[in-house]
Amino acid sequence: MTALDAVTLEVIWNRMIASVDEAAKAIVRTSFSTLSNEANDFACVLTDVDGQLLAQNSGSIPSFIGTLPATVRHTLDRFGRDGLEPGDVICTNDPWLGTGHLNDCSIVRPIFRGDELIAFAATASHMPDIGGRIRSVEAREIFEEGFHIPLLKIFRAGVPDETFFELLRTQVRTPDQTEGDIHAQITANYLIEDRVLTMTAEYGLDDLVDLSRELNGRTEAAMRDAIRKVPDGVYDYKMLTDGLRAEAPFTFALRLTVKDDTIHFDFDGTSPVQPRSINCPFCYTYAMSAYAIKCALLPDVPNNSGMLRPITVTAPENTLLNPLPPASVGARASTGHYVPILAFGALAEVLPDRVMAAAGSPLWNCTQSGVRPNGQPYATNLFFNGGMGATLGSDGESAISWPSNLSCTPVEVAEQTAPLLFHYKRLRPNSGGEGQYRGGLGEDMLVESLSESPIAVTFMAERTRHAAPGLAGGGDGEVGAVEINGVEADNRAQHHLERGDRILIATPGGGGYGSPEARDEARIAEDLRQGYVRGDDR
Amino acid sequence: MNRYAMGIDIGGTFTDVVLYDREQGRRLTRKALTTPGDPAEAVLDAVDQVLADDAIAPEEIERVVHATTLFTNALIEHKGARTALLTTEGFRDSLEIGRERKYDLYDLAAKKPQPLVPRDLRFEAVERILADGSIHRALDGEALAEVAEALRQADVSSLAIVFLHSYRNDSHERAAGARMAELLPDLAISMSSDVAPEIREFERASTTVANAYVKPLARDYLDALGERLGQREITAPLLLMLSSGGLTHVGEVRRSPVQMLESGPAAGALAAADIGRAEGLDHVLAFDMGGTTAKLCLIDGEEPAIAYRFEAARERRFAEGSGLPVRISTVELIEIGAGGGSIARLDALGLLKAGPDSAGSVPGPVAYGRGGIAPTVTDADFALGYLAAEGFAGGAIEVDLPGCHGALEKLASQAGLDEEKIAWGVHDLVNENMASAALVHIAEKGRDPRAYTLVATGGAGPVHAYYMARKLGIKRIVCPRNAGVASALGLLLAPARVDRTAAFAAALDETDWSELEDAFQELEAAARQVIADTGMDAGQAKVQRLADMRNVGQGFELVVNLPDGPYTAASRDSLLQAYAQAYQAHFTRLPPNVPTAIAAIRVRLTAPVEKSAEDLSKGSVSAAAEKGQRPVYFPEAGGMVTTAILDRSAMAIGDSFVGPAVVEEAESTMVIGPGAKFHISDNGNLIIDLPEDAS
Repeated sequence: MTALDAVTLEVIWNRMIASVDEAAKAIVRTSFSTLSNEANDFACVLTDVDGQLLAQNSGSIPSFIGTLPATVRHTLDRFGRDGLEPGDVICTNDPWLGTGHLNDCSIVRPIFRGDELIAFAATASHMPDIGGRIRSVEAREIFEEGFHIPLLKIFRAGVPDETFFELLRTQVRTPDQTEGDIHAQITANYLIEDRVLTMTAEYGLDDLVDLSRELNGRTEAAMRDAIRKVPDGVYDYKMLTDGLRAEAPFTFALRLTVKDDTIHFDFDGTSPVQPRSINCPFCYTYAMSAYAIKCALLPDVPNNSGMLRPITVTAPENTLLNPLPPASVGARASTGHYVPILAFGALAEVLPDRVMAAAGSPLWNCTQSGVRPNGQPYATNLFFNGGMGATLGSDGESAISWPSNLSCTPVEVAEQTAPLLFHYKRLRPNSGGEGQYRGGLGEDMLVESLSESPIAVTFMAERTRHAAPGLAGGGDGEVGAVEINGVEADNRAQHHLERGDRILIATPGGGGYGSPEARDEARIAEDLRQGYVRGDDR
Repeated sequence: MNRYAMGIDIGGTFTDVVLYDREQGRRLTRKALTTPGDPAEAVLDAVDQVLADDAIAPEEIERVVHATTLFTNALIEHKGARTALLTTEGFRDSLEIGRERKYDLYDLAAKKPQPLVPRDLRFEAVERILADGSIHRALDGEALAEVAEALRQADVSSLAIVFLHSYRNDSHERAAGARMAELLPDLAISMSSDVAPEIREFERASTTVANAYVKPLARDYLDALGERLGQREITAPLLLMLSSGGLTHVGEVRRSPVQMLESGPAAGALAAADIGRAEGLDHVLAFDMGGTTAKLCLIDGEEPAIAYRFEAARERRFAEGSGLPVRISTVELIEIGAGGGSIARLDALGLLKAGPDSAGSVPGPVAYGRGGIAPTVTDADFALGYLAAEGFAGGAIEVDLPGCHGALEKLASQAGLDEEKIAWGVHDLVNENMASAALVHIAEKGRDPRAYTLVATGGAGPVHAYYMARKLGIKRIVCPRNAGVASALGLLLAPARVDRTAAFAAALDETDWSELEDAFQELEAAARQVIADTGMDAGQAKVQRLADMRNVGQGFELVVNLPDGPYTAASRDSLLQAYAQAYQAHFTRLPPNVPTAIAAIRVRLTAPVEKSAEDLSKGSVSAAAEKGQRPVYFPEAGGMVTTAILDRSAMAIGDSFVGPAVVEEAESTMVIGPGAKFHISDNGNLIIDLPEDAS
């Protein structure tokens, strides 16, 4: 093959990214649940033979990008290279080996060139239903949370394991959708394999070893250079969040140590594991830590594993950020999404122009299950997003997914797929934290049940008591709220809606950046004119 | 009478006028610099010239066909009308909230595409229709007087009306539109149920607002153009090219100008399709590369594929998601930020990048000597010997070769490579970017690139076609004459075409077949009326029925060509079969045991125009074709080799050659690698067959 010079590397790298992007489009088009085809809750990656990330799809979810290569490495640990053969498909939704909760299936396909294992295609996707209680925060152990798939070959040498699929169908409320979405993932994995083999043939590559070493080496060096520019030191940040009860908020603590060309995260001091499903397995904690550093230090370079090598993470066992089985973990994003904010808070002192004030995240969600007039059960997941935090130089964007990357489901689609009536969905004026740069606005939704039979609903809702803090003198964002029929609802509990009951969902605003005194007059006037800020309230 | 057909294509820089003389098979072309302030001015300048120079009687012009990028540019530059939006109460922010996703994962300050209507011009009406089309709350027409007053005070000239579920029941939108027209007679009004009657409120609003935003501009411009053509006694009907490649009359575009956004690229795709037909090709990959972008379009069978969604005015480096979603019928093409002006540089990792930033025409490539300092793709093409300094762009530009080499050498030393290697790297990389995008696109269609013939057009297309084709495994390239003005020629080839769509939601097994048949006939009647209004024979029109179908539960539909009507309950199996075939072609396999549903229906009417005679250049003597030699870079040859330079105009039908070679004509240059065989076909096209071992 030609030497791996700057040109060849770039060309091949682009080709690998194109392969996983193509796989992502196949998932959108062929999947059955709105989670994949409207909300984008999936990712596709290519790793080398050792499970080192080579390429991820462009619109993917930061958490999955971090966890999928680890799932490939767990696959190697479990089966060994010799235990894998062409045509195998491996599946797991084990939270500690996969993405942090049972609702996502991670699917790994070894890629062979002839008889030689050269790479892995891996995809993760949020299932419409995985059985158990409807994604309830009330679950106390993982056994309540649904069907648990250990690392398992669901295809052996190209032959599907019918027993597995039959078991799966029996365990879930939406057998066609769940099985259909797994097939959509498998199709995507096949597609990545096909494109990689075409590429290796075209460029005369026997394997991807040199390529991976070179690409990951370059990103590792770039990340080490970037870290070296951060002053050495120990940076602490602590934040209180909603907790399960108002009188007992959770503590999130981070000690971030920058030394030469390495960064170490230590989450010692974070609250202990809880008997509710908001515990965040370490794989997810790690993914969110790495994501924060990439955003702050090296946003423009395509991601791969080399980037992560200078970053190490520890969290004490049996804390919120490192629970062990059988902890319940279904809503781990409600905890894990705080991690990047901790990192930014710690780095704000030394990198004021590279970090963001806290966002109105973690992700919000409303999961519902009910029975249609025709007697068919249904389950539906709606995502809602708060405002971004402000950065030095830019107001936060309003109502946008971060640090995930999920779309809202259109109101028209939501009303078509479930017996709901949205009275409004609008921006929340004044919800963005004040500052030289204002936090992004949250959004308000009022949703009424039109169902003759009761609908079970659960929520993921954060920052309803502890607001997204501002940075550098910026104000906090407005807290969010969940109300049922005008009364504040316990957002950690399952509720039942009767026909005519109304849920109010108000997502939190992002924190502001810099002193409000320093805000540009023109921006103040524009905010008033557009109604992002209402003068009479302030 | 009926001797001439005229094509007018307004681009960002040039306005092209092409006149086709049917009697003598001549093509008469004129270029004028586009006049953005009054676009009709450049058109009339060019028209006046071409009429005067060739003493053409205006009444001999039988039709005038027009494409333009004016409306797209208005969106990109935010230079449209002052536009307001009227929504269902509670939903005026849908346009701004969008789909809540980031197109860049790591950029903390990334913004959603800025809505064309700011929040203070977004108003709400009391009304509500439910997902099943039933009225939940009646429209309060009286309250609209207040909105009208606010619009008047804000000096708004165009209004978009987007109510929830109006794709199921348009009565409230229509009533509100009528009331607003009464209150403000001069207001341009666009209703979402009319412009884009499809589910998903954000995308429908985005499309309707884009339409409203360009509507006054379209109205004024088209009126001015029609009037001034009339003053020249050109009385032939003015037909306009739609993004779908079809033709329609001025009234249709005045109503819905958003349909014209991609008219220029559509014309280029039609030209490629026509070339493919002439050469008997079943699978054509149309490749048009200019100064800032390249467009690629698949043509399977006789016509370009049609898509029903695209993104206009992408703000960030053509990144998917950074533009405004527009739901219209459009020739399905991909646009890549890769052109002659694309800038080459090293990124933070020391890796080479080419584009999507472009030097444009000002300052332009370093070689243009107009102040450009960053090396571009065009500079690399000069350094590789693909382009000649002498006579470049008809001698209009004095090429600064030393400057061009200097800029490339600087980049080369940063990368630790020599100049030749970096120049080839830039050329190869831009080809790879285009090939990668093409591969994703072709794969989405479930096709194999090796089955395609590349048709290369545009200023830079023929320069890059050869090595891009190799990356795609394509074995044959066709380069037409006048490759540089292919789009304007394409205008003269289009059939009149009308697309209509309507929501129709039903599982196939629960379909009321007479209701479905009625819905199709209603669409067909509306489409026929448009064809008749263009002055063409609606009776000759070909009807194609289509439907957006999916497996129940899937979130996206596939647009499926359906068998001809009329439909009855007995049609179920043939519709199901049409769906199964289309699905398998896209995604290889159908999911097991899932029922099939229709989400929307579409009708496409086409009425062919009379085909003009081909103007074949009568080739002279092939011996004269070689006009010189120069060193040209070919990677297979290991570097620069002395290469024959051929004069396209001196190549005769049937002449055949073997590469390496460079074939030059006034507007473009075709680069051909070693071992490739090429000849001039019976249709006058240059056909290049790549050597077997090329991969």
